[in-house]
Amino acid sequence: MNEPMGNRRRKRPNMFKKREELQRKREELSRKPSNSRKKRTTTVALESISKQTSGGRELVEDWFSRQGWEPFQFQKETWDAYLKGESGLIHSSTGTGKTFAIWPAPLIEWLEESLSSGATEVTTPPLTVLWLTPLRALAGDTEKSLREMLDGLSLNWSLETRTGDTSASIKARQKKELPSALITTPESLSLLLSYADNQKMFANLKLVVVDEWHELMGTKRGTMTELALARLRVLNPNLRTWGMSATLGNTDEAMHTLCGINASTTRRITSNIDKEISFVSLLPESVENFPWAGHLGLPMVEQVAQTIEKAKTSLVFTNTRSQCEMWYQALLIVRPEWAGEIALHHGSLDRETRKFVEDAVRDSKLRCVVCTSSLDLGVDFAPVEQVLQLGSAKGVARLLQRAGRSGHKPGALSSVVCVPTHAFEIVEFAAARKALAAEKIESRRPLPKPLDVLSQHLVTLAVGGGFRLESVVAEIRSAYSYRNLSDIEFDWVLNFITKGGRALGAYPEYCKVQEYDGYYIVESDSVRQRHRMSIGTITSDDSMNVVFMSGERIGSLEESFIARLRPGDRFVFAGRCLELVRTKDMKAFVRLAPAKGGTVPRWMGGRMPLSSELSEAVREELGITAQGRYESEEMKLVEPLLRLQETWSQIPDEKSVLVEHMQSREGYHLFIYPFEGRLVHEGLAALLAYRMSRLTPATFSLSINDYGFEMVSNIDIPVEMLSEHHLFNPENLADDILRSMNASEMARRRFREIARVAGLVFSGYPGKSKTSRQVQVSSGLLFDVFSEYDPENLLLHQAQREVLEQQLEESRLRNAMKRLSKSRLISVELQRPSPMALPLLVESWRGKVSSETIAQRVSRMQLALTKKPPKATRTPIAKTKITQKTMLKKAAQEQGSKVS
Amino acid sequence: MQTKISGHLEIEIQGESLILLPQRAIYWQKNKTLLVADAHLGKAATFRAHNIAVPTGTTEKDLQALSELIVKTGAEHLIFLGDLVHNKRGLTDRTCSLILAWREHHSEIKITLVRGNHDRKIPSIAELMRLDIVEEPLVMQPFALKHHPEKDSAGYVLCGHTHPAVRLHGAGQKSLRLPCYVFDDHIGTLPAFGSFTGCADLEPTGSERIYVLAGDTVVEVH
Repeated sequence: MNEPMGNRRRKRPNMFKKREELQRKREELSRKPSNSRKKRTTTVALESISKQTSGGRELVEDWFSRQGWEPFQFQKETWDAYLKGESGLIHSSTGTGKTFAIWPAPLIEWLEESLSSGATEVTTPPLTVLWLTPLRALAGDTEKSLREMLDGLSLNWSLETRTGDTSASIKARQKKELPSALITTPESLSLLLSYADNQKMFANLKLVVVDEWHELMGTKRGTMTELALARLRVLNPNLRTWGMSATLGNTDEAMHTLCGINASTTRRITSNIDKEISFVSLLPESVENFPWAGHLGLPMVEQVAQTIEKAKTSLVFTNTRSQCEMWYQALLIVRPEWAGEIALHHGSLDRETRKFVEDAVRDSKLRCVVCTSSLDLGVDFAPVEQVLQLGSAKGVARLLQRAGRSGHKPGALSSVVCVPTHAFEIVEFAAARKALAAEKIESRRPLPKPLDVLSQHLVTLAVGGGFRLESVVAEIRSAYSYRNLSDIEFDWVLNFITKGGRALGAYPEYCKVQEYDGYYIVESDSVRQRHRMSIGTITSDDSMNVVFMSGERIGSLEESFIARLRPGDRFVFAGRCLELVRTKDMKAFVRLAPAKGGTVPRWMGGRMPLSSELSEAVREELGITAQGRYESEEMKLVEPLLRLQETWSQIPDEKSVLVEHMQSREGYHLFIYPFEGRLVHEGLAALLAYRMSRLTPATFSLSINDYGFEMVSNIDIPVEMLSEHHLFNPENLADDILRSMNASEMARRRFREIARVAGLVFSGYPGKSKTSRQVQVSSGLLFDVFSEYDPENLLLHQAQREVLEQQLEESRLRNAMKRLSKSRLISVELQRPSPMALPLLVESWRGKVSSETIAQRVSRMQLALTKKPPKATRTPIAKTKITQKTMLKKAAQEQGSKVS
Repeated sequence: MQTKISGHLEIEIQGESLILLPQRAIYWQKNKTLLVADAHLGKAATFRAHNIAVPTGTTEKDLQALSELIVKTGAEHLIFLGDLVHNKRGLTDRTCSLILAWREHHSEIKITLVRGNHDRKIPSIAELMRLDIVEEPLVMQPFALKHHPEKDSAGYVLCGHTHPAVRLHGAGQKSLRLPCYVFDDHIGTLPAFGSFTGCADLEPTGSERIYVLAGDTVVEVH
């Protein structure tokens, strides 16, 4: 601010704006001093809180009735359980009321204690309630509703938020004195545990609330939360833990994971508000002109626009970010007048932009938001009247969760409209409806003892004042995920953080954590500082900021996408057509491009496999169809398609597995349909190819989707081989699968997150890049070095296990193979691709199983001299459309000729 | 020579014959000179000194690989094209004794280091490895030996610094990333020698010649 302003005239208006803003903020602050600015600990006369000498519970119930509410039964049940000293989990499929089930409980307790103490005055209590939220964006809303009740009861509790967004000065003050109730994230809690005086900070803690526990549980952040809770329980044996969760297939396990294995009494509370869900499929006129494959669903755009017109506010959920961008553009093309009334929201957009959109929805300023799972949670959107799901949600729980984003008021109707992107998805909708009615909801499993998280946590404890060996083992094992942690594993992790990695002996020069007679502590300031900076387990892919030339940030994109663009290339992002100007310092500088068009980025991952519950429902649905019954509206619509499948091939029922074979110019095709989701199919296809190629030398090219997979080979493989040689036998599954797939490359990619969590990769101090550059290395290189020089490193094993369990769903694959080996094999020779085979034929993903050396492979590969812009859409869709039309015509002719 | 190291590729630059070895080094037979870029000795030790657990063994392996190259080629002059040592903190007692023992074993060979960015603050390496440090370019007609890939009026540049690699594309969305040698009209760049070094993707323009390290063979790609 001190520098001369004369030559920077262009910037001036901006500066003034900022100054005005500052002034305005200052005035605002002086008008209503916020809790965080005034002296935080106050003493008030009890009389002013409790006008009559009623108890705490009556005061809370009074407050409810002043709001015009009556506490629900499950809310009262929670209060009672809490007051009895119990921990537990409150779950419901949708709806609200969970916050006020638990928040009044500690207030009642405190009021009762204060009133019965006989004192006339009460002081603001020290940290009593810790409220964990998975999303920083949720913290604001939570604070608002918690404060509402504190103000209503005129309690002198202090309430604050502490997340990654909180300013350094507030954080510093909070470090000295925490509020009575603190809303924070798992990472921030872990950070608090890394301060030496954490024992004092948490001395008076009575309750930890974990919001949206189902979102956290199956992730490393969830595991980190478990470990932090285990520590808090050691500091505070009477601590109660309460979680709020959506209903899961394994709600009990979710509760035990949250409460730890030492919890004496736990209670599972079901919110009993009946939430009505309207589930409608938006169907195309006829299935004849509807694509058989693809995942965009753009032919439905006009019908979708009409549906949006019927409601005041809609959320349109897409399954991938690129689909989100494309649909936003498509809606604007069919309804140009909606510019400004519709918005888009996904995880790559700038946080400010996302917040702006969220606020606009809340204030009923938008007609519709096209979004991804980024809006699955969080923010209460009261105005949303309906939710549209583009494409299958791939799981019952996800569909429920998304449906619950509309009618977000007790008693209001949740309405979800499912829009198919290809013909078979209509079958999925019919199946989803039944699974929903039968409450067949997916489970989410806690991660089995990830050692990277454990090593990070142990360093956190060593940084935060140190730990004793004899007590810490029991503490770690009290966390559900680590209940089976073996001595060998624990010792390995301990050795890893004190001496390096190798089982015997130490790495020279290395000493992160020091040991003094069973006491472990970090003494180096630089280790402490670096550890605090890298606490947290969320790994973002190497992403690049996308900014305008003026410096305004738009969002971030994967580096791999940007790397394929050249200056001048155009792409669609954040709803705008942009032109790349240059890339520098991990920033992509762009300007607005005049014309429409350009490629749409394809993001990594994104495509979820069909869940096992939904897969089963689809198989059942087809089983009914196999008997010739077409019951629901959806099934009636797809009847022509399935009849065609029946004519040219067969429809498998639940007890059989369909294998189609065919010969073409490309070779011999085998199509197998287990209906188990794409991940299982990926593993199964590779496994079968591997086992077949052991019996007879062959090279296979593979393609997969959620319903089945295709194997193309250069020689004719008899279908009987599948049963004769027991190829579906789940024995030796793990070994065979690791040999058959490029598992080491997959593990190498997995290692990126593990290396970061375990503190092997360090992204550097802000503004101190020079000194840390000497120790920067890619996780891939580390993986190679470990594999060669320390192959017994358990973190490598973990990478492999994560590939098997999470990437290939090994246990699900095993179950599928058990089922398949008992199933009846239906073998059909095709004259032409069947409706189920065609999508596999045009699938762009192709795997390969062969045994060539690198040099042999190189000889067939090409150097990409001209950088090709990434493909915008998968071209086969158009091809499919033509093919199927002609096919249906042909079929009709054939049928006609048969009759005549 | 031809019989001792398999998988190499002989190319001609400025009328001189250079042998590209699959062990990431160039042998200039006429001058009995072995060229090695970016060895980054002691890099893992630097990490350990910063309390990042990286296993030992990389520097040993690199020195052993150097030994093999010297024996198999019969080189009399070894030239490092910069970045011989990663960092001062990596020159621990252990690293130093490894280097000393290695030098003892190859006491005959003449060693020159063309100073790179990583070598700037480590003058002690001259004594330790009994080598001459020279500033770039080191002119050996027709070549200008450097660390940084910048054109030089003194001759055709042979250098390191960038740790080049290319991505090859095959059918069905398969790709492979391999370290490589790159030769354009004025500059030839060597792949990094050190086994604990990463590499950076090169953006081919089409006018250069690229030779990738495919396992134990050097292969030209187009």
